[in-house]
Amino acid sequence: MAMDPNLLVGISMVTTGLVLGAIFALTAAGVTIVYGCIWLPNAASGQLFLLAPLVLWSFTIGFGIEPVLAALLVLAAGLPLAYLVERLLIRRFYDVPDRNISYFVITLGITQILSGIFSLTWGRWSDQYNVPPLAAGVTFIGPFPLPTNRILALGCALTLLAALFLALRYHRFGRALRAVFQNREAAALRGVDVRRVYLGSFLLGTSVIFAGGLLYSMAYSFDLSVAWSMGIAAFAIMIVGGPGSVLGALVVGMLFGFVQAVVSVFASPTVATLSYLLAMLLILLLRPSGLFAR
Amino acid sequence: MEVRHLKIMLAGAAVVALAAGTAWGEAADPIKVGFVTELTGPWSFSGSSCEAGMRLAEARINGAGGVLKRPLKFLVVDNQTNPTQAVAAARSLDTQEKVLLLSGPTSSDNALAMYGYAEQNQLPFLVPVAAFPQLTKPGTQWTFRLEPDAVGWGYAIAKFIEQKKPGAKVALMYSDFALMRAIAAGVKYQAPLSKLSVSAEIIFPQGSSDATIQATQVRASNPDFIVPIGAGGFDNTIANQLLDLGFKPDQIIHPFGFTTNIIGWGKRSVGSYFGTFFDANLDTVTPEGREFIKDFQAKFNRPPSYIENFCYTTAYVIKEAIEKAGTADRAKFRDALRALKTKEGTSNVPIEFDKNGARKEYIYYMQLTDMDVAKKEYKAKKAFYLEWAPEVIPVYDLVK
Amino acid sequence: MTSADSRRSRMLWLGGAALAVAVPLAVAGNRFAAFIVGIVFVHILWTAGMNLLYGYTGLVSMMTAGIAGIGAYVTTNLVMSHGWSFWLAMPVSAVGAAAVGVILGLPALRLRGFYFVLSSLVIQSAVTLVFVYFPQFTNGDTGITQIPHPRLWLPGEGAVELKGAAFEILLGLLAFAGVGIVHLIVRSRMGAFIMAIREDDLLAEELGIDVTRYKVLVFFIGSLLMGVGGAFYASYVGFISPRSFDVLVSLNIWLMVAFGGRGTILGPIIGCIILVPIPFVLQDLYMLKDIFYGLLIIVVTVAMPAGVYGTFLQRRRAREQAAVAALETSRRAAERIAAQ
Repeated sequence: MAMDPNLLVGISMVTTGLVLGAIFALTAAGVTIVYGCIWLPNAASGQLFLLAPLVLWSFTIGFGIEPVLAALLVLAAGLPLAYLVERLLIRRFYDVPDRNISYFVITLGITQILSGIFSLTWGRWSDQYNVPPLAAGVTFIGPFPLPTNRILALGCALTLLAALFLALRYHRFGRALRAVFQNREAAALRGVDVRRVYLGSFLLGTSVIFAGGLLYSMAYSFDLSVAWSMGIAAFAIMIVGGPGSVLGALVVGMLFGFVQAVVSVFASPTVATLSYLLAMLLILLLRPSGLFAR
Repeated sequence: MEVRHLKIMLAGAAVVALAAGTAWGEAADPIKVGFVTELTGPWSFSGSSCEAGMRLAEARINGAGGVLKRPLKFLVVDNQTNPTQAVAAARSLDTQEKVLLLSGPTSSDNALAMYGYAEQNQLPFLVPVAAFPQLTKPGTQWTFRLEPDAVGWGYAIAKFIEQKKPGAKVALMYSDFALMRAIAAGVKYQAPLSKLSVSAEIIFPQGSSDATIQATQVRASNPDFIVPIGAGGFDNTIANQLLDLGFKPDQIIHPFGFTTNIIGWGKRSVGSYFGTFFDANLDTVTPEGREFIKDFQAKFNRPPSYIENFCYTTAYVIKEAIEKAGTADRAKFRDALRALKTKEGTSNVPIEFDKNGARKEYIYYMQLTDMDVAKKEYKAKKAFYLEWAPEVIPVYDLVK
Repeated sequence: MTSADSRRSRMLWLGGAALAVAVPLAVAGNRFAAFIVGIVFVHILWTAGMNLLYGYTGLVSMMTAGIAGIGAYVTTNLVMSHGWSFWLAMPVSAVGAAAVGVILGLPALRLRGFYFVLSSLVIQSAVTLVFVYFPQFTNGDTGITQIPHPRLWLPGEGAVELKGAAFEILLGLLAFAGVGIVHLIVRSRMGAFIMAIREDDLLAEELGIDVTRYKVLVFFIGSLLMGVGGAFYASYVGFISPRSFDVLVSLNIWLMVAFGGRGTILGPIIGCIILVPIPFVLQDLYMLKDIFYGLLIIVVTVAMPAGVYGTFLQRRRAREQAAVAALETSRRAAERIAAQ
């Protein structure tokens, strides 16, 4: 086709950066909410990110449930599960001073259990998974064809991100969450029920991670290894953006997505990956609390 | 406890021991094969598929009387896709179970770890599925590889394209893993010799999710054919994004295809080519092959592909070599394997090993003609077949 | 410490050395069990280094496996590609690994707490990448196979390959030496300083402790132990790849220390003895292995937050204190009665 190839590459960089960035940002936001509020570094984030689309696949392909309904079911089912984990494992450490270490170990245990379950079940049924698309066909952005399903995924991701940001800024619960982020004792003095905020933030953060996983499966095919790569990416974004800062997760997540999209055009994969790590190290050394810390 | 009860228990125990002793005396002493494969961990899919194929053959062999009138017993151990575990399992099977040979791994680094043990301890090692050339590097004495090596797959792609469209331009897009690099090395080596040119070479870092930009870049280079070699789900993503951008399915040549990833490519990929070593759609499938396909499909709800077939064939190769050696002695077994000239029972493809234990290599290229995603079925026809000797290209220099 | 205590302590040390020799001999007939014992010994050495860093100095370093990998790869390279003797290559690579460990540990001087953890995770990822992308030295993710065992020169027999129970005994003695070194450090003045740093490094600085110097020393010694362990691991297993020394291995080493009881001498040893054999022993019950491992660490963290041995010590101390308090109460009661 007689189209300027550079224009095509340029458009593809923008669309890929947006899609990847939005999904990264959403997942990192989920991780950072839980870490910032409860001081819970969730080593199992990646496995949770993977769990949602795997279950979605089973619901849609295995049981024939309509995809949108199935996605909502997955999110709904995630809530009681998260509540159970909070009740049994998370709650008892709320008043412990060094709880981030205990949480890290516990979530490592959960990671091991989940990855064991996955490799015995979905890991044997197929080597990769595709979820049926909600929208078929291709939409043209100028000369550039983009699958409609991916545009839908991008739209949902951006909507969720905006909703999350606005809710945290203006909704009563969101403000309570931020108050607890900043100073738990002061928030308690002002009448905030800290333990309920903790529970709420855990449920919210976990649901957001699930949503991220579902949207990823709308845009891409996946296999069990995304748990690990997404988990690391979300963690890295959280560090650079500032633990607890949703704005930081948003901005840095989008940045990450774009950088990943663009760098690979100009540099070899080695250079690309090493440069991310270098950037993270620099941030840690120069501004350890992250770019958007409070 | 009362003395009376104790006496009854002792009497009972004596009876059981006697019965067991008699039973042991009657059953024939099995020939043991140590089968160390990936049942958990990242490669659990191929490891469990391999075990499934092997079990069908094991059942059939033992149902027909076993080997040298003894049952053939595969001791399956999970190596957890971890080379240290693979070495531990090899040790245990060698020294505690005193197996005749080792087999089983589908992942190359586990196979390589066991290779070191096997060569050092003079234990025959028949690798069913693991495509790394180093498994049969010059000087190998005890290890044999049944699957053609990955560099050779790349060589065969170039020969296929050469025959299809002389002077074609080929684009390579692959994930930065050892297996993918090996295949790409084969293509790149043979391309100039086959008068093809590589119009673009894109390498994706490990853990990549999106190939749109790279697909756009490839399109700018205007290739005739694209060879995408992704890892896992990403392979699918590359294929779909290429199709989204307007490439025709018959421009895409996948180096390997087995049932689940073929179905993953979706109905849009009908017309694409893929490489394989055994497929239910081949018209060279023998009656035994048809039975294998039917049995496997009944148990696992999908047709078997080359992974399951290699492992099925492995059991038969072991049987034949033991029969040829006439005894379950390790050195004689190894010599019998070296001298073996036979065929795969499921497709009549020849089996013969060279002096390093590498099999005389072959591949089919199939073209997808139809697909039913819901039923996990697809139809394909043979487009190309090639046989070659492993060292027709300097395989051990290209990839270390 | 009373003479009874020091006698008991000496018995414990003698017992440890004896076990290092006796256990390999006991399992020598079962090569699989012997292999597990060997791997446990390597982990005891590694966790000794980690314990020094984390248990006593409070530095949660997640790059320990990378350092071990440097020791392993340099030794393997020197032995296989340059024909060095293992006994020369190993110390050279251990010192090299220690030097790298110090350099990579420099961020610890600036970063507090969790931020140091994060930076060490980043560094570990970078080290793994270096292992993958410099195949001239490491053969990339294909890995290096057929790594030879070290050779010993025996008078009258020439160069003999170190294998069998002798190799495991050597590993046991190494593990013993590593734990011993950490113990000696902890009991010395340096030990007091590093524990002060663990509690509050700013306060330690103000009290005149040269925090930088001691952190550097701890990194050097800890990394030295990791590097030695890595070199022996490579020749013991016979195969290494970048995945043998990646972030998951670092996490596991840290986990063994935290699980067993950090800041104690026996804790990490117990952690290794419990956690290392699980994947091997459950090879047959592979369906349960991951679930079992995960549940185990969750249960222990919830029920025994100070680690297995740490909680044991805490409870023993609590019992002793309760006993002392009860004794005191009854003594005072007796005095009161006597005074009436």
